[in-house]
Amino acid sequence: MKDVVFRYFEKGKRNILDHTDLTIREGTITVLMGSSGCGKSTLAGVLSGLYPENGGFLESGSIRVFGENVSDLPISRRAAYIGFVFQNPDLQFCMNTLRSELVFCLENISVPAPEMDGRIRDAAHALGTEDLLDRSLFTLSGGEKQKAMLTCIYALGSRLLILDESFANIDRKNALELVSLIVRLREEGRTILAIDHQIDLWKNAADEFIVLEAGAKAAARGIDRTNLDSFREIFDREGLFELRERHRKDIHREGFFELREDHQKDIHREEQAGSSGSSSPSGLSDVPPAIRFENVTIPSFEGSTRNLLENASADFPAGTLSAILGESGSGKTTTFLSLLKQHPYSGDIVVNGSPVTKQKKKKLYRQIGIVFQNPANQFITQNVLEEVTEGIRIWHPRLTADAVAEEAETLLSRYGLSDKKKYSPYMLSQGQQRRLAVLSVLSGGQQILLLDEPTYGQDYRSTAAIMEHLAAKVREEGLTVVFITHDRTLAGVYADRVYELRDRKFFAIDPEELLAGEPEELSAIDPEELPAGEDSHRCSEKQDEMSPGDKIKTAEREAAE
Amino acid sequence: MKLEKLNPSIKAISVMAAAIMLSFAYLVSLNLIIFGSCVILLLFFSDARPVRIGKILLPALVAAFGFFMMGLLYARGSSVTDADLSTLSSVPYAVRAAMSQNLRTALQLSTRLLAFAGLGIFFALSTKGEDFIFSLMHQCRLSPKFAYSILAAVNLMPHMVREYGQVRTAFAVRGIPSGFLSLKPLFTMLVNSIRWSSSVAMSMESKGFDGSRNRTYSQIPRVKWYDIVFAAVLLGGIAAGMFLLKY
Repeated sequence: MKDVVFRYFEKGKRNILDHTDLTIREGTITVLMGSSGCGKSTLAGVLSGLYPENGGFLESGSIRVFGENVSDLPISRRAAYIGFVFQNPDLQFCMNTLRSELVFCLENISVPAPEMDGRIRDAAHALGTEDLLDRSLFTLSGGEKQKAMLTCIYALGSRLLILDESFANIDRKNALELVSLIVRLREEGRTILAIDHQIDLWKNAADEFIVLEAGAKAAARGIDRTNLDSFREIFDREGLFELRERHRKDIHREGFFELREDHQKDIHREEQAGSSGSSSPSGLSDVPPAIRFENVTIPSFEGSTRNLLENASADFPAGTLSAILGESGSGKTTTFLSLLKQHPYSGDIVVNGSPVTKQKKKKLYRQIGIVFQNPANQFITQNVLEEVTEGIRIWHPRLTADAVAEEAETLLSRYGLSDKKKYSPYMLSQGQQRRLAVLSVLSGGQQILLLDEPTYGQDYRSTAAIMEHLAAKVREEGLTVVFITHDRTLAGVYADRVYELRDRKFFAIDPEELLAGEPEELSAIDPEELPAGEDSHRCSEKQDEMSPGDKIKTAEREAAE
Repeated sequence: MKLEKLNPSIKAISVMAAAIMLSFAYLVSLNLIIFGSCVILLLFFSDARPVRIGKILLPALVAAFGFFMMGLLYARGSSVTDADLSTLSSVPYAVRAAMSQNLRTALQLSTRLLAFAGLGIFFALSTKGEDFIFSLMHQCRLSPKFAYSILAAVNLMPHMVREYGQVRTAFAVRGIPSGFLSLKPLFTMLVNSIRWSSSVAMSMESKGFDGSRNRTYSQIPRVKWYDIVFAAVLLGGIAAGMFLLKY
């Protein structure tokens, strides 16, 4: 890529790619990193020829792939050079099964019909996806879908593979497995360009990390795992450094007593206001649980005999931040739905002292708010300000219009969204959308907030911003927050209480434990399962490497205490 | 020999032609013969599950009964024809008087509806969507661009249904109960669909799909001799029935 200037609107002032130069060596894995909105995805799109064909304006510069000018390549030939794996695994297939999708791919590049079966078999064999071939793509998990996508690209024979945050919403175990497949593709001589926020996922696989700054210009090149630490400053400046390197935030432990008292006041106020109160005020030892699961069994759907949860119990104390971990498909989101009376269950789910079954939905939703994985799905208006005023009006119908507007303005400015109040919620960035979702959900004065994957599609800086904000709310206003995440470190850093959903039960985990290295994650991939000998070598290297890091972390923690 | 083997385009065209021909015929018996043979063929020569046939036919039967009653009681004007009811002398005079004019109209209307329903399920339950689209592409010169777009849209449907459920839950929790037909969740879905269609399109393009006819095909549906025979028997049979049958 040479001196590329690209923007989405021809007359627009801001160049997304501003005189960008980028060279990637053949046969390597290169990881592009950069803060949200620095133009990484646009860069990938321009590089692969998806832009300006699908919108945008390319002012100058040349993009050459293996010596060919991308814009001169017809689409069907381009696929032989460049394959693209997208972030959302759901939105990249047009057929019903992987086999017909593969046929579709091969037809596109005019492979003669008699050769197709052989090529499909080879591709499926190379990536171990034989058993996925005839299953409906809709029923596959996110990780399986990305594997299917890699199979398609393998079959197309693309020499350059571009991954645009393809593993953002895939749990760690599956993501590591996918990375090992990608290492295998490199061994076959293919070139890989990955855009990803998760340094640690790629640390052992990548040949080079490139940090991009605004305008998608390279801020630092030639970073690999041997010299990663010397670039720490740049990572920090771009808001990229992994949470992993930080110690546990002890925010909740300071001033614990005042905090409790504050919270009791809150409950007291609630009681006066006539809404449901909590159980009797008590000391530190038994903070009343805001949410309690007692022997809860949740079927995967109404009338199903397959259970997601079986006699599971858990406590979420009021005024704390808790995390729920678990693999994809273990029923984390469904647990939230049961709590909201949107999914059948048996056993007892108790919110603020009274069983959910005895509470009317309307009253329940006055206490609990939820932010779903895709915040864009819960906007009820077409304007940021209205979004908040509506939220207030629904739960406080007696307030005057002026009071509502005033309250909304205050909330918006507190969340740093006042300059966006005339925007449509759909025009905000992912991080802003999530903040708006939290804000609009809490505008009704709910004291319990459920968050489904708050880190989905965000860089560490935005993630940290949201989590810090919630932690502050918990501390200052006695909010109870429960969040679902794949990110064990995130849970370790911010949560007071961590449950892992495993084998249909909740297992309490000490948050400190999550930060002290990751033994279970490393063992999640059995070295023997890994494809080539070199990989298992890499994996053991990784384990060796991990231990000094752990020591430092442990030392840091001890120092903090 | 299964009905699924018939060329979908030929099947579609003959079924449509048959329906048009039937709408010019006023023959109760012909309607019933068509309906009966469609159901029998489906039951014995296709992979369609009988339960499914029943489920789809149930509303058609209800509608047919409705048409029958409507025709019987409210037919007026030129559509009314006389019927010979002398054989029904045991029926009270008043009923006979009412029926004499309208029974035939009623039967014609209701059986025609059944015949249409029969032809409809005959096509729908013995044809796979994918096959139909491929066949349209080869026999009716449908552009691959449209063909694969339709397939992509069809395969997105389950995602849309799931997403719609999530949107409604999100709204309910925010204090906005959304009824079956409320527009707010639909607006959100509209925004989603636009976003989705552009991502799917980009993904298809990145796999080398350019929408042109310049591609190979793993299987090309062809028109075989038995397709012609099927069309000839169906349409010829209806034409013959129109001449030979009286009621």
